[in-house]
Amino acid sequence: MAVLGKLTLGAALLVLASPPDPLSTAGWRLASPPGPLSTAAWRGGTRRADSLERARALHVLNRLTYGPRPGDVDGVLAMGVDRFIEQQLHPETINDDALRPWLQRYEVLHMSPQELANVFLQEQLQRRARQAGAGQLVPPLRHAAVRGRRMSRARRLAGELQQAAVVRAALSQRQLDEVMVDFWTNHFNVFLGKGADRFLLPDFIEHTIRPHAMGTFGDLLIATAESPAMLFYLDNAESVASGSTPPQLAQLNQRLERARMGGRPRFGRRADPARMDSLRRRIEQRLPRGINENYGRELMELHTLGVNGGYTQQDVINVARILTGWSITPPRQGGGFVFRAWAHDRGAKVVLGHEFPAGHEMDEGIALLKLLAMHPATRRHVSSELCAKFVADDPPEGCVDAAVAAWQHTGGDMREVLGAIFRSPEFWASENANNKFKTPLEFVVSAVRAVGATPDSTLALAQIVGRLGEPLYLDQPPTGYPESQASWVNSGALLQRFNVAMGLAAGRAPGVTVNVEGLIPEGTDPGGLAEAVDRAILHGAASANTLRVIREETADLGPRQARVTAVGLALGSPEFQRQ
Amino acid sequence: MALGLDPIFLTRAAYATTRGLGPANSRKTLVCIFQRGAVDGLNMVVPHGDPFYYRERPRIAIPRPGATGGAIDLDGHFGLHPSLQALAPLYRDGSLAIVHAVGSPDHTRSHFDAQDYMESGTPGIKSTPDGWLNRVLQTQHALEHRETPFRGVALGQELPRSLRGAAPALAIDKLQAFGLRAPEPARDRLTAAFEELYQGSATGLVASSSAEAFEAVRMLKSVNPGQYEPANGAEYPRGPLANSLRQIAQLIKADVGVEIAFADVGGWDTHVNQGASDGQLAQHLAEFGQALAAFSRDLGERMSDVVVLTMSEFGRTVAENGNVGTDHGHATAMFVLGGGVRGGKVYGAWPTLDPAKRFDGRDLAVTTDFRDLFAEVLTGHLGTADLGAVFPGHAQPAPVGVLRAS
Repeated sequence: MAVLGKLTLGAALLVLASPPDPLSTAGWRLASPPGPLSTAAWRGGTRRADSLERARALHVLNRLTYGPRPGDVDGVLAMGVDRFIEQQLHPETINDDALRPWLQRYEVLHMSPQELANVFLQEQLQRRARQAGAGQLVPPLRHAAVRGRRMSRARRLAGELQQAAVVRAALSQRQLDEVMVDFWTNHFNVFLGKGADRFLLPDFIEHTIRPHAMGTFGDLLIATAESPAMLFYLDNAESVASGSTPPQLAQLNQRLERARMGGRPRFGRRADPARMDSLRRRIEQRLPRGINENYGRELMELHTLGVNGGYTQQDVINVARILTGWSITPPRQGGGFVFRAWAHDRGAKVVLGHEFPAGHEMDEGIALLKLLAMHPATRRHVSSELCAKFVADDPPEGCVDAAVAAWQHTGGDMREVLGAIFRSPEFWASENANNKFKTPLEFVVSAVRAVGATPDSTLALAQIVGRLGEPLYLDQPPTGYPESQASWVNSGALLQRFNVAMGLAAGRAPGVTVNVEGLIPEGTDPGGLAEAVDRAILHGAASANTLRVIREETADLGPRQARVTAVGLALGSPEFQRQ
Repeated sequence: MALGLDPIFLTRAAYATTRGLGPANSRKTLVCIFQRGAVDGLNMVVPHGDPFYYRERPRIAIPRPGATGGAIDLDGHFGLHPSLQALAPLYRDGSLAIVHAVGSPDHTRSHFDAQDYMESGTPGIKSTPDGWLNRVLQTQHALEHRETPFRGVALGQELPRSLRGAAPALAIDKLQAFGLRAPEPARDRLTAAFEELYQGSATGLVASSSAEAFEAVRMLKSVNPGQYEPANGAEYPRGPLANSLRQIAQLIKADVGVEIAFADVGGWDTHVNQGASDGQLAQHLAEFGQALAAFSRDLGERMSDVVVLTMSEFGRTVAENGNVGTDHGHATAMFVLGGGVRGGKVYGAWPTLDPAKRFDGRDLAVTTDFRDLFAEVLTGHLGTADLGAVFPGHAQPAPVGVLRAS
């Protein structure tokens, strides 16, 4: 049924692309030949072409960015949709200076790994002292972070890191870059709440993920493998060849031996053999003694090949053997990457049928990571994930094939892979417009952007994202937060979204300043309020029912309350939960 | 009790009229607790009578019963981790049963896959669209239970895989914070507005989830969860599992129609420094045991209508690893607590820790398929008839014996 006189996005897609037979809906395409991204065919300025171009601009803003701000659709139209995509694929060409003063606020982004480590070491000591005194357990990070109590410095730094991600998503001009940072952050998930990762994670996000977000997959993979945060999170830092002995222990053993023989130490006090022996046993107990498969398994299952990628348990073991020695220095020395030759397995290994001859130390690991990065199973696995992120939860084959082909031609250059996805017919298919349910991060940031709100100096926005179910960097399993609708739609979470929507509209939400008057001018005719929020926030996507409910709910309210309610209902509407 | 007599009385009265028509087991509740991360079953329920146990775990073994920090002996062969002290009386009074060497027939050592298989109830098959608990809700005879949004409830932000599927199920993070936040009467009006918005404009999963949300808001309003005091002097420890169980107890007592409740608790992936009688695992087990015991005490006589079933995706290696921890293994141990449970016994054939008898030469072998245990709890407690629909391809489970058959 055609809705005449009101061109919603959905209607525009249908009207513009519908074949003569209204019953055959399969294969309706938003774009027509000659090329999905080419607008040439539509230039010449019919109204239909204009609204198609609007719909394309909106779709691109929904997927490549955290949602349109007031005026963004016109901005993209003025620039041209294709040029906008091209520009977003090259973030280094986009001036983002306006973001700098915001990021200046976050101490955590400007501290060295050693400085961060020191904060945590200090608080650990204080906590131990307190615990010893009170015999009390410290509440886990996830639960403590939302409490109103005065935060410790370490907690504040963690909160800053979360808030910086939300503020960047809301304010950066390099939107696609931010979307990709979030994608890789979950693909290479590290749990901020695990021990040393409390101070290792900022460096991981800033210097491992961010520089490679739009780079080559292989470089990113190697960077994550060498990152202290990942080495600690998935326990590779503790993985040593079985039977290997660290030099310190070997020395101690020698000294102990000499002491037993009654020889005099070359210098210093004469050692007491009993004390040295108990020292040796204490050290030995805390020392790693064999390989740890955890990283090896997740490296293949989650980061590269995928769970059906054709590897065996023996491959997992051999990957772990190859990566023995990849470790980190103690926090006192900054917790940086170190290759410990003594811990490295010196045997020959075979992974996925490829031989890794003995004795090549760290180079074996690099060769392995390159092998995994270029493996066909990796291309397909990661391409599918990208298509699930940008096209549809159930990634269409055609789009995955296009991404895989671009990956193959360019050796995994993410700009090219993403470009291929954005050029694929599936990306533009009308059934894939507005079909993705927003994650909590996407919902909060898109709402902030939609109403043109400005974050304040608190860490509250990130806490709202957390309350909606996605506390950033706090997903414990290595899978990272999911992308699919089924993972995020449930009754409890929907109610929370309504609360956030109403809070934002009323200016009650902590963490942002909202200027509803700027969005819906004060003089707006109360009868036209529903249409006004539809234009400003939903970009014409509001259903007749949504318009009716907003109209009825605001009819008997005073002007300000009516505006607030209309904006709140729009942000909480089913239409706004999708992108 | 501070719950407020009137609303509960009214809900109960309303519910009783429907329930009166159903069979006797209609107010039964199954509470599932998922220990995510693969709990070390061998240190949770210690096979102190197995000589290989001490040989393989020189630094992390729980000492024999009687020794300092020793296991709490159950039957001369198995013992509870000393941090599970709170569970010992329940084992002795016969309400707590243990199944050891239980696990999945699938060989995966991936947390993700193993949890997926246990929650879908179809080991080895990834494509199963729904969870086993959801299929229970789908197959249960409609008359037996009033259709309430609380039939399947998960405590937490997200609905777990076990409860996802065609039958409505609800995820609640905090009972008190459930619903729209606004002062009355604006709250009711706003709730109604959003309800209309979603009734008319949402489709698919969003539509059904939102409908459940509004129904739940109405029901919870009459329960008044902010005023809850546990009964019988039950004291829940601090921690996420205890918080979940306290709220589940609240819902069960409020008679809002909970048939299946689900809670999960993490922190079991003890690759490094897992500790022995003290330490990381001991701390987690202490909360776990105290939370279960508090729940049981809080529900009091109502426990005769409740079974608590604990599960974990797999167990951990028999031998400790190089980091004073344990790696991903195979079989583990599970607890069954509540009414109708033939407790005071450790069930399941013990395969021994003899290297020759181990799975892949390294892990505790599985002698009880987790589906056999789950199925027995379903038939014995909930009266589930169509096991083939819940566990496709496993319609004839082997008896375990933990529950009196209904």
